[in-house]
Amino acid sequence: MKFDTVIIGGGLAGLTAGLSLQKAGQNTAIISTGQSALHFFSGTFESIEEPPQQMQRLFEEAGIRLHYERGVRLMPLGTFRESALSLEDIDIFPTPKIGRKALIINFMGYHDFFSSFLAEGLQKQGLECRVRFINLPELEKLQLSPSEMRSVQIARAMDRVWEKVVQEIRMLLKDEDVVVLPQVFGLQDTSVPGRIRQGVPARVVFAGTLPPSVPGIRTQMLLKKRYQLLGGSILMGDEAVKAHIYENRIHSIVTRNLDSHYLEASHFILATGGYFSKGLVSNPFQIYEPVFGLDVEYAEDRNTWYNPAFAEDQPYMGYGVKTDGKLHAVKDGQPIDNLFVVGSILGKTQPQFGSAAGLAVRSALAAVDEILRCTQNDGEESASNPLSF
Amino acid sequence: MNPNEFDVIIIGGGITGAGTQRDCAMRGIRTLLIERSDIATGATGRNHGLLHSGARYAVNDPESARECIEENMILRQIASHCIDETDGLFITLPEDDLGYQQTFVDACRQAGINAEIIDPDLARRLEPSVNPDLIGAVRVPDGSVDPFRLCAANMLDAKIHGGQVRLHTEVTGFIREGDTIRGVHTRNRLTGEQADYYAPVVVNAGGIWGHHIAELAGVNVGMYPAKGALLIFAHRVNNMVINRCRKPSNADILVPGDTVCVIGTTSTRIPFEECDNVAVTPDEVTLLITEGAKLSPALESTRILRAYAGVRPLVSADDDPTGRNISRGIVCLDHESRDGLKGLITITGGKLMTYRLMAEIATDAVCRKLGIDKRCETAVTPLPGSEEKSYEAVAQKIWESPSTAQKAAAARMGTRASRIRTSDRHDEALICECEEVSVGEINAAIDRLEVTSLTDLRRRTRVGMGTCQGGFCTCRAAALLAKAHGSVEKERADIAAFLQERWKGNFPIGWGDTLREAEYTQWVYKHVLGL
Repeated sequence: MKFDTVIIGGGLAGLTAGLSLQKAGQNTAIISTGQSALHFFSGTFESIEEPPQQMQRLFEEAGIRLHYERGVRLMPLGTFRESALSLEDIDIFPTPKIGRKALIINFMGYHDFFSSFLAEGLQKQGLECRVRFINLPELEKLQLSPSEMRSVQIARAMDRVWEKVVQEIRMLLKDEDVVVLPQVFGLQDTSVPGRIRQGVPARVVFAGTLPPSVPGIRTQMLLKKRYQLLGGSILMGDEAVKAHIYENRIHSIVTRNLDSHYLEASHFILATGGYFSKGLVSNPFQIYEPVFGLDVEYAEDRNTWYNPAFAEDQPYMGYGVKTDGKLHAVKDGQPIDNLFVVGSILGKTQPQFGSAAGLAVRSALAAVDEILRCTQNDGEESASNPLSF
Repeated sequence: MNPNEFDVIIIGGGITGAGTQRDCAMRGIRTLLIERSDIATGATGRNHGLLHSGARYAVNDPESARECIEENMILRQIASHCIDETDGLFITLPEDDLGYQQTFVDACRQAGINAEIIDPDLARRLEPSVNPDLIGAVRVPDGSVDPFRLCAANMLDAKIHGGQVRLHTEVTGFIREGDTIRGVHTRNRLTGEQADYYAPVVVNAGGIWGHHIAELAGVNVGMYPAKGALLIFAHRVNNMVINRCRKPSNADILVPGDTVCVIGTTSTRIPFEECDNVAVTPDEVTLLITEGAKLSPALESTRILRAYAGVRPLVSADDDPTGRNISRGIVCLDHESRDGLKGLITITGGKLMTYRLMAEIATDAVCRKLGIDKRCETAVTPLPGSEEKSYEAVAQKIWESPSTAQKAAAARMGTRASRIRTSDRHDEALICECEEVSVGEINAAIDRLEVTSLTDLRRRTRVGMGTCQGGFCTCRAAALLAKAHGSVEKERADIAAFLQERWKGNFPIGWGDTLREAEYTQWVYKHVLGL
């Protein structure tokens, strides 16, 4: 099977690259294990100062509205963090004094939303707080199993019964001007958070829960849907296992599921993430990149990989695949001309892109620009998409 | 009567102190136990959790071997909910001398240990994870014991018998009149509150810290701190204890415990200053993995959960000022006859296995000083929680059709699991999914077992001990603690302290899935939850 570009990794970086290339008329495929760091996305694009217009447009077209305001947001444990570019349902406030009185709503038996921490955090800012637990018959089935009251399961129920939550809030509400709710709304039906805001006569703030992150999963689903709508192919539940490399170019890659049906492409993008996503793999002796065996920048001495203080920056998180400055991967000291590396697998080797979500989006867009530039220069023709019908 | 007056004050909340308090309390003595930190924070909670058959000592230290097998049989009766009767193997590998096997078995039988030579084929069938290259195997009555549970059960029984406990309370000095100890000065390490307690007898059961306690009283015990490093694997690879049939050496015991298994240990002399913060070195990690894989090759590819180390309180024999002649046997010092200081007893040396015997010896000494003539009954009286023989039987009695989480709770708490409130389905929600710890069990621990922090809670319930190492359950449990203690701000700091404590045991083995988990946890707590 031949594509213009094959992208390995279906997280924020891979999807951003895929969408941009597809929009530019390429035929692309994304190989995705299914899970990504978007599943614990905070909803804020860290380290993006000014939103790249290209990004904002891509996301808008996918149905993800972003807003850019400098200020602070309420964190799940009741603290405040500086924020700028965020998903629509993440509120950014000019100061931590976000109102006068707050009503914090949690569900009975839900332990992944920290209402007491939120109340204490808001009280510190001078707000009066009330915490109330609500129960709905629709959640009772979840409560019967000791491990079902989790964000995604609740969110599925909420897509159907969010109006009842609004009714409950309206009954509980006294003179509060702020209502804090867990981020368990709008998993499938993206209009829900907005409609809750309309239905509640106070400012509604959605505060985070323990992962999985409902806004994160929603973001991934919308990006994926848009990508497929533009004709992109997603090989879901698959992973790249090895590559055929001739004279510093990737000829094709082999995936676990497609076996002998090699995926050929003019360009490849590696967006497999950090350690958690297995973009980088470690053992007692080394840190390596498992698909291509690319050069990784890291310290030889394992004792220097960690900071014994948990809360401090950890050296291992800064390690990443080496590139030539134009995001071409480097293997055995030689750049590979048609393989680009984007997202958290870069670690801190490309400090100009920042970290996390910023790194994912910016490096993906930079790689796309480079690929489109090469393609124009070469005057290559687009391959037809063998997986589209 | 002055509420700060007791018959005996016991210093140290490890297994020796807890056992001594139980024994004293059962003999009608008014006791106070003082612990500078939490229960089982020293060597008690930092070993293999091996229920020794004594076989390991049979050749070189027959006396210890005999003590071990006697206590082994007693603990099976009185502490059944803390014990897993797994049996053990002593295997001979091609590189070992098979001739040693007969010496070993003879010595075991001399000590009263039922050691049985079995065919290597049978050993492979009994324990499929064992190194298949073995050329000899001996079956012995080893087992595993949960030291946290054992320590808590002893302290609980002492309390049932009227004993008092002050945790997080440090002895800062002794109250002394001439050549007689009258009591102790203390300081609460959490509140800073100071208090004096009085008693005609003080028992120093401080483990390695007992050296310093003796110094406070002006006497020298001559202890030597020996660090032992261990690794916890994320799966229960073996079902029987696996030992090497050779002269005891480094990293030659693999013990299954609950859902995990533990390989250890090493032995390194360290300075006293390091006792409060022992670190596992990369060399120790390498040695433990290499030697461990010889017992069970699967360990080479099994995820490691944590590295940790404990400090053994070794004592040099009294007639040997050089300290070369170090004993691992039980040492009970009456400082009146030894140093002319009345009212102080030190009980040390020994092992987790022989804690009950140590407690009996110390309590006998206390009784002599107080002029009490009562017999020790700890060898025949079950600990709270151990009134039933099996945890399945316990679970059946409490719940009509127990869930796996309820069975796990019954295994952890024994018959005391009946105290978990289950009237409400919300009590059954799981806080810790790795170890299946429910809201009800956590609340029961908070209500009755003196929990001041997440780390305390972990020792009592196993919260955060599983594969996620606290990634998910930390803040869930913290919310319950915040509610019980009414302080969110304190709890936020507690979360940070708990994660730091987990990381301490993770980074020495920080690769593979452990590093994946750590990256996830570090990211989530810092950037998603906003700690």
